[in-house]
Amino acid sequence: MTHVWAQASLWLALALLATLLSIWFRIATALSEIVVGTVAQLVIGALIGTTALGASESWITFLSGTGAIVLTFLAGAELDPKVFRAKWKEATVVGLIAFFAPFFGCAAVARYVLHWGSQPSWLCGIALSTTSVAVVYAVMLELGLNKTDFGKAILAACFINDLGTVIFLGLVFAPFTWRTLTFVVGCLVVFPLIFWLTPRFFRWYGNRPSELEAKYLLLLLFGMGALAAWADSEAVLPAYIIGMVLAGTVGNDHQLVRRLRTLTFGLLTPFYFIRAGSFVLVPALIAAPLVFATLLAAKMATKFVGVYPVTKAFGYVKREGLYTTMLMSTGLTFGTISALFGLNHKIITQVQYTHLVATVIASAVIPTLIANAFFLPHYLLPRRSDHESTQKIAGDAAVA
Amino acid sequence: MYKSILVAYDGSTAAAKAFHSALELAERLGAALGVVSVAQLPEPPTMGETSAILDAANSHYEKDFRKLRADAKSRGLELQTHILAGHPADQIIHRAAETGADLIVMGHRGGSRMKEWLLGSISKRVLSYAPCSVLIVRIGVERSTKRGSSC
Repeated sequence: MTHVWAQASLWLALALLATLLSIWFRIATALSEIVVGTVAQLVIGALIGTTALGASESWITFLSGTGAIVLTFLAGAELDPKVFRAKWKEATVVGLIAFFAPFFGCAAVARYVLHWGSQPSWLCGIALSTTSVAVVYAVMLELGLNKTDFGKAILAACFINDLGTVIFLGLVFAPFTWRTLTFVVGCLVVFPLIFWLTPRFFRWYGNRPSELEAKYLLLLLFGMGALAAWADSEAVLPAYIIGMVLAGTVGNDHQLVRRLRTLTFGLLTPFYFIRAGSFVLVPALIAAPLVFATLLAAKMATKFVGVYPVTKAFGYVKREGLYTTMLMSTGLTFGTISALFGLNHKIITQVQYTHLVATVIASAVIPTLIANAFFLPHYLLPRRSDHESTQKIAGDAAVA
Repeated sequence: MYKSILVAYDGSTAAAKAFHSALELAERLGAALGVVSVAQLPEPPTMGETSAILDAANSHYEKDFRKLRADAKSRGLELQTHILAGHPADQIIHRAAETGADLIVMGHRGGSRMKEWLLGSISKRVLSYAPCSVLIVRIGVERSTKRGSSC
């Protein structure tokens, strides 16, 4: 066990360093962990050996995979069912187009411009089809747009967009055998069942120091993850849908969400993001920067072609439409998850993985900067009410 | 003179000192007093972390606001408190513009030159772009006034 404890210490030292860097430079911890993972692999690999970090060891793979599953679950649980019910038509149309346009467009660019193989091109389409709910939500929050109909529709559309991503990630590379059918039938049985059972189960046995809720949720996520893996699908697919199904139960229980976050950010996601970063090949990025630039341009262009006409069809004026389009071009977590899935399943090479992760990171920052600089619909900004003596930021938010 | 004063509050000693300076000023001038605190989000915002920061900011500032409200009440003033998310300087300026504040009061913590170079000073940015007068309160100095453009 000495070897495992020593390696765990090294990984947690890296996680701590990444957290300190994120505090000093005010950047996202996930981004900091990816960068630290990349640099650590570069330095430790050069000094001690490429396997010293142990990114492919089974226990690290397990913690990393659990991090991706729980993080995806928490993301799904952030859906506000009331907002979704109110805006489902617009959200579904905008969300589906925002998924399909970059999915086909980026896959085509990877296939015919970058001359990637068929499977890597589809994976590229999936990884670049995402929209970062967190980025969109933060921008909406800063501008107070999260309370407007416009903002609510975009936020709900982001969930549909990401749902498309996880469904396609889970099914495009599946072999479509009787196992796939069993997995789909299993999902159709389990999801309605937990929707009914979970609130009752928590009411009967929850709120005890034994943390029954966390064990119940982990059982669900691992169980459905195992079924997905057995069917050669992806465990984040059921995790995201379970999160959405339980959004009204788990999402409303702030104490439970806080406890899950402690587990996720304290232990699991550092392993996930540092591991994701450790597979990035810096020399590959330096050698072919145009690949990264082409993929980023493809993502933004295909989002524009897909989303902008739809916003016009829904009667958005030019500036609103362009702003929506730019925000829907962002992406981070699901893009990284998709790319890592491709690498783990040997669908893409490490060089292709590197370009995809770099594109995903850039897509989390560049479209937002362009949107706020040039297309912000100022007239939609609400005047914040002064009726209450205190207004909280998360309490009245559509998604928190 | 000043009818509406907005205090930018981040929970630091400098901010507490700024609040008490503003309280004294509001009492003397009979001005309305508001406090704004800003939860700064990471770049780029990520799943879970954004929600965690907002939750933490709400509980942290709410606790502080209870004390600030009690202080204001003891001087016969009603305090409007507000928690926003985003870049602190931008949000303070927007808030001042929206509420028609004619004076922003804020503390100056005096970060290292390296930190200021990397991240920029919030007080400098507010001073440069505020739509009204700005009072910067320094720790260790009784009161130091700098004026921006008048409303």
